[in-house]
Amino acid sequence: MEQLLSGYVIYSLAFLLIFISLATLLHLQFSLAGIVNFGVVGFWGLGMYSFSLLLVKGKVPFVLAVILACMITGIVSWILGRIILNLDDQAVLVGTLAFATIIEYLSTSEKWLTNGVMGLGTVNFPFNFGKKSLLVYSLILLVFTVLLMLYTYKLKKSPYGRLLLSISDNEKLSQSLGKSTFRQKNIFFTFTCALIGFFGAMAAPLYSFIFPRMIGSGVTFTIWIALMLGGRKRLFGGLIGVIATIGLFDYVIETVIPIPTQYAEIVPNIKFCVYGLMLILVLMFRPFGILGDKKMEIVK
Amino acid sequence: MTFSLFTSTALVLGLLEAAPLVLAAIGFTLIFRLNGFTNVAYAENITLGAYFAVIFNSMFGWNFYAAIIPSALLSGLFSVLTYLVIFRPAFKRGVGKTELIILSVGLSFFVRYGSRLIFGNDLFNFTFDNPSYLSAFGIGITSIQITCIALVVVISLGIYFFIYRTNYGERMRALADNENLAMISGINPTKVSILIWFIAGAAGGLAGVFYGAFSFVSPSLGYNLILIIIMVTIVGGVGSVRGSLAASIGVGIITSAVTLLSKPLYGQVVLLILFIGILKLRKVRI
Repeated sequence: MEQLLSGYVIYSLAFLLIFISLATLLHLQFSLAGIVNFGVVGFWGLGMYSFSLLLVKGKVPFVLAVILACMITGIVSWILGRIILNLDDQAVLVGTLAFATIIEYLSTSEKWLTNGVMGLGTVNFPFNFGKKSLLVYSLILLVFTVLLMLYTYKLKKSPYGRLLLSISDNEKLSQSLGKSTFRQKNIFFTFTCALIGFFGAMAAPLYSFIFPRMIGSGVTFTIWIALMLGGRKRLFGGLIGVIATIGLFDYVIETVIPIPTQYAEIVPNIKFCVYGLMLILVLMFRPFGILGDKKMEIVK
Repeated sequence: MTFSLFTSTALVLGLLEAAPLVLAAIGFTLIFRLNGFTNVAYAENITLGAYFAVIFNSMFGWNFYAAIIPSALLSGLFSVLTYLVIFRPAFKRGVGKTELIILSVGLSFFVRYGSRLIFGNDLFNFTFDNPSYLSAFGIGITSIQITCIALVVVISLGIYFFIYRTNYGERMRALADNENLAMISGINPTKVSILIWFIAGAAGGLAGVFYGAFSFVSPSLGYNLILIIIMVTIVGGVGSVRGSLAASIGVGIITSAVTLLSKPLYGQVVLLILFIGILKLRKVRI
């Protein structure tokens, strides 16, 4: 039992929690505010790198480093939002994708800061309970994930949630009702991106060493496929989707099915190939994912 | 490095960089103009074009120039296949513009990692018969690079002529502008669309072949270029073949100039930052 709690299972669950949170945040951005963020990994990586740099090179305390990393991600996303959020969907998509690519390039090229491909480390847990450290840290992550889900649930029922929904539904109409849609979108974008940065910072101790290849476009894509598969309109869409994709592939298949070592390197290829196929099938035959679309409740 | 040497190096390297980009941008623009969405899966067209040429060149032992023709045809066919199997049904189902892009990303991943399963993660090089080394403005250049640039010029002029001067080009532009009106005028939308997707795919495949000829062929060849291609088409004015031509040459020269001045990745970073700024300045609907 002791071994189980400090080992691979807990580690896997902690990562699932991180990705479930990211998918839920993407659900907020895409389904509620209508922001097509294809640079999730950019904000995630920015949070992760700025946190690790502050902690390892700046010797800043853990909690302060997390807060500062959130603020850095928030400020950068606010600036990006100012530039692209009042353009149409395709421009937002390409703009955020370009942003994520910039972050990935910089993490590789700025060797003096990030050690480039050598990796940045070591990022330790903020406490030391011996073998139980991982378990305690995962429980903290669980608390944050549950809080995020609760927030999402509450937000969708609140007037502010309806304002965001009205913007994504019909921005012109919302403007004509006197809402400053661009400003609201940008505030919400900044807030959610800062949270993505937060989960990036929280993921760093799990990796303990940070490499540029961790923040490749595959992460963004995985989160998107998870959300689209699970159900982009639903609160639990991200959760179901992450379990059905990352949970199934990275953990169940790779742990349960013994893969001969000579085939080990083709497993990621098969994985992304199947992800791509899944995304195509979902969009063609079940556009709202496994959970489907729920009719909006009429607010009395 | 003197200023004149710097300028000529930037120009020559920039033109080399731009040559395949011109083809890719033209093909991408054609699909964008016709169907109005950013086709990310176009990246795989480029990669597959290069792989087809590798098959003919390295495995069958064909001459490099002879391998170009079947690879262009095959990548054109692949493009038509994606249109008929994925995108046309999606249009019919009324999938939204944003969802179409996500769909094309899915297709892109499917094909990219599918081709990795077939070709492996290795890099490939083309084999050339006795290339000769020349010098242009004091910069070393191979005869292959010169031939490729000449081919790019001929092919892009051909496509340009086709779109702006022939009957089929006119039909395509009519279909892009107003589908219903075009259909009333007796234009068969499926036929014209298939033709356009074929030309776009062939152009993309050729771009991949030339990129591979200048450096090497890797599974992420196309995907590494797609952002730059999207950027070029936006900067060049969306749907304008002429604009893309000018913009790709500009982009090539800027990248090589920045790369000469600093580290290789900075060229890309500067371009992307410029690009985000341009998105804002032009406020174009892409």
